[in-house]
Amino acid sequence: MRYEIRVEGHLSETLAKAFPELGHVVMSGQTVLFGPVVDEAHLYGLLARCQSLGLHVLEMRQLPE
Amino acid sequence: MSAVAEIYESARGPTDPAVPAVPVVPAVPFADPRGDPFLRTRFALPARPATFLRRQRLVDHLDQARETPLTLVNGAAGAGKTLLTADWAAGQRQPVAWLTVEVGDRRPGVFWAYVLQALHAWGAPASEAVEPPSDATGVDQRLLATLAAELNDRDQPVILVLDEYDRLTTTEVTEQLEFVLHHAGRGLHLVLVTRTEPLLPLHRYRAAGELTEVRAAELAFTSEEAVALLELHGLSLPLHAAGALVDRTRGWAAGLRLSALAARESADPELYLKEFEADRTTVADFLLAEVLKGQPEETQDLLLRVSVLERFCPELANALTLRTDAEVVLARLHRANAFVEHLGHSWYQLHPLFGEILRAHLRERLPGLEPELHRRAAHWLRRCEFLPETLAHGAAASDWDFAAGALVDDLAIGQLFTGLRSGDLTELFSPMGPEARSPAADLVRAAGDLSRYDLDRGLARLRSAEEHLADDAPEPAAAKLSLALLEALAARLAGCPELAERAAEKADELRQELPAHLLDRHPELNALLLTHLGSARLWAGHFEDARAALTAAAGSPGGASTALPREDSLEHLALLDYLNGWPGRAERRVLATVPEAERAGLPRPSGSGIGQLVLAAVAVDRHELGRAQALLDETAQPPPGTRDPVMAAGRALATARLLLVRGKARAAVEAADPAVAAAVVSPWAAGYEALFASAAHLAEGRPDEAAEVLQGVTGDQPVCAVEAAAIQVAAGRASAAIGLLDSIRTAGRPGPAVTVRAALVRAQAAQCAGDTDTARKLVTQALLDARQERLRRPFLDAGAWIRPLLATPALHELAAGWLTPGLPRHGGQSGPESPSPPPLVEVELSGRERDVLERLARMMSTEEVAADLYVSVNTVKTHLKSVYRKLAVNRRGDAVRRARDLHLL
Repeated sequence: MRYEIRVEGHLSETLAKAFPELGHVVMSGQTVLFGPVVDEAHLYGLLARCQSLGLHVLEMRQLPE
Repeated sequence: MSAVAEIYESARGPTDPAVPAVPVVPAVPFADPRGDPFLRTRFALPARPATFLRRQRLVDHLDQARETPLTLVNGAAGAGKTLLTADWAAGQRQPVAWLTVEVGDRRPGVFWAYVLQALHAWGAPASEAVEPPSDATGVDQRLLATLAAELNDRDQPVILVLDEYDRLTTTEVTEQLEFVLHHAGRGLHLVLVTRTEPLLPLHRYRAAGELTEVRAAELAFTSEEAVALLELHGLSLPLHAAGALVDRTRGWAAGLRLSALAARESADPELYLKEFEADRTTVADFLLAEVLKGQPEETQDLLLRVSVLERFCPELANALTLRTDAEVVLARLHRANAFVEHLGHSWYQLHPLFGEILRAHLRERLPGLEPELHRRAAHWLRRCEFLPETLAHGAAASDWDFAAGALVDDLAIGQLFTGLRSGDLTELFSPMGPEARSPAADLVRAAGDLSRYDLDRGLARLRSAEEHLADDAPEPAAAKLSLALLEALAARLAGCPELAERAAEKADELRQELPAHLLDRHPELNALLLTHLGSARLWAGHFEDARAALTAAAGSPGGASTALPREDSLEHLALLDYLNGWPGRAERRVLATVPEAERAGLPRPSGSGIGQLVLAAVAVDRHELGRAQALLDETAQPPPGTRDPVMAAGRALATARLLLVRGKARAAVEAADPAVAAAVVSPWAAGYEALFASAAHLAEGRPDEAAEVLQGVTGDQPVCAVEAAAIQVAAGRASAAIGLLDSIRTAGRPGPAVTVRAALVRAQAAQCAGDTDTARKLVTQALLDARQERLRRPFLDAGAWIRPLLATPALHELAAGWLTPGLPRHGGQSGPESPSPPPLVEVELSGRERDVLERLARMMSTEEVAADLYVSVNTVKTHLKSVYRKLAVNRRGDAVRRARDLHLL
């Protein structure tokens, strides 16, 4: 499954490296992280990583295959 | 002053004179399951920095925690949860126990050991009735129930703060915590400081008004508070400007703190903060990059490098930077309240938020350095003998040779098998690849193979380790001793006493070469080795030597690390008793291990399961067939590929015995084959196999074949030999039977299982010879020996000849009540399992058994009894079994009725 996670603010290249398995694109005051998510555990792990980096998650959704 | 008390004091700090004097608690690490020197930092109340702003509205809200059982302080990383709670806790007059949760605590045994230790460290210890767990993966319900009951009884309630509770992601610990909270009543106030909502039924607490919640919105700074906070950082900002900053950071404490630090570095702080408001980068990212940029090059480098560590002291930081300035740098950072938190005793940690971001920076600025940093940390930690941390960093560096070497040199290899950490350690080494070639790595691999019963592979690795050990290693004694332990285990699994003896001899020599403190630190090594040696000796029929080794293992120093081998050896000893003809003694021994195992939190049935099998065999001897079947059913089938000869033979013995008694002779013969490959033939296992084959021949009308297969049975195996003699005499070979009886040799007095059958065989021979007088005397003797132990089977097996004898008044008196129905004296012959009149021996129930029985009489279920008595269901079952046995009944209804008859209720 593929997901995208939308976080508030522009994510720097450095910080984006904390999500090496995901791609990212910056747009209008937000950053979209996107890519394959292995399983539920991975998904919750990504959320936890956002939290521990102080990122504010605006939206998270599964992408159509 | 003790270390814990020191922490206590330094944590509370000199800032708050209202805090009562520090209670000095003894530094007895009573429940310190890992002997972890980092442990104390987990109980330390986090120090508040000089720039900490106390916000009265939050303190007032938190005060409600003293009224509600549950309090939740909930917010994102850097929201100021921990400091708020720590500040509040420091102002309490009643005991507050503080525990910072770690990922390892998701194993219930570890979690509860730390909770007990936290209560102890903070001057609110649980009594000795609450035994700390010794198995990481589980705790007994009884521990939780006892702890809850004890808290409930206290005059002064305890506040327990669990910081970073979000690290516990399993439901198991949370459910246990809820159980304790529920049953502790007013005695416990639980405060959970967490980033995510715990999996507790919060709605229920909320509805009942039993929940205090401080959530993110409340933790957020108001504009006024932001002004005050910035002032503490030496910045004065007008309220409207602070308001904009609060909007930008959403009142996020860490964001405000960082912006203050960044602004302080700039020429025009107010302008700087304006720019920050306009910027659209994520807050933490922006601020951290800014603050980091403001630091000198050396400081930046140090911060990036220590981001791989959970905690660090200046020397450890120096080991990573290869410089010597860490002490100065860390002290300065701490004073400036930037990035690091002080844990006391010159240990620091990064603020969790910064740690994560710094690691991202590290990967970018010093790519590929991470494994090397882990490796350096591992080497430093090993020099300081911090084994768990050494192993963790060694594994993170994928330096398996080093990690395995550290484990082996510390003599900790036994911890792969027993103790609280065995699961963690096995997991830690699971990614080890073939690139690790040191003897120590081979030893760790062999331990894994052998614990999976992969004997061939394990032996090959041991041989490879042995060869390489001969080549190198400056101090090979520890590695050689580890090798000896694994060889003893391999010998046990291979059923090869010779190999086990050699390993034990080697171990004895090697122990002389090792420092005493190292050996003392790991009592489990010797306990395991002796158990394996005893098991191998038992298999080979060397009973007295086996008893010596097993008794020594069972007497190993107590504690979590040796709980498993101690129980294993006690169960082996029980089997030994059984094989020597002492079923009652064997049973008592097994039952005695039950409370021990439960206190230690070991799952039941644990160990090898031999104890259960012995109980089943004893039950068959007593003709308690339902109980025997239940015990056998309870003993889970071992996973396929399991090979432990003694256990397999024990299982074969108990199963076949029950089948034979039930008249399934063929099935008994099949079940009697233990189906394990062993280096030497076990005389008793083979003897029993012959016995069952012979019994089947006899049952199917082939007395000659029956006698034939008994050729190999000798008097060295007393119980086996008397049963063989019984078959001989039944097959009409009285003289062969007597000959076999005469050849029986036992080390001490023969047990009742031997004497009863022997007397009956002689009696039958006498009866056949027409000497009824002698026969009666012998049967009398047999009855006297058997009734104490309720050995019914020998009389039921004896055949028709005994009935007229038992019907004579003198013998009837002896048999009545336990073997034959007593009253009415001339009633029909009914089975031995029917309710019987008062027993010959006086029935004495223990207090606990009486408790259980009384509750049975009130129609409570086993589960209800367990809950009512604060014990586990298994404990209740154990008591029940012993009540049944004492009352000679098989059902609870009968037990109650009989107890009433005997005026025990």
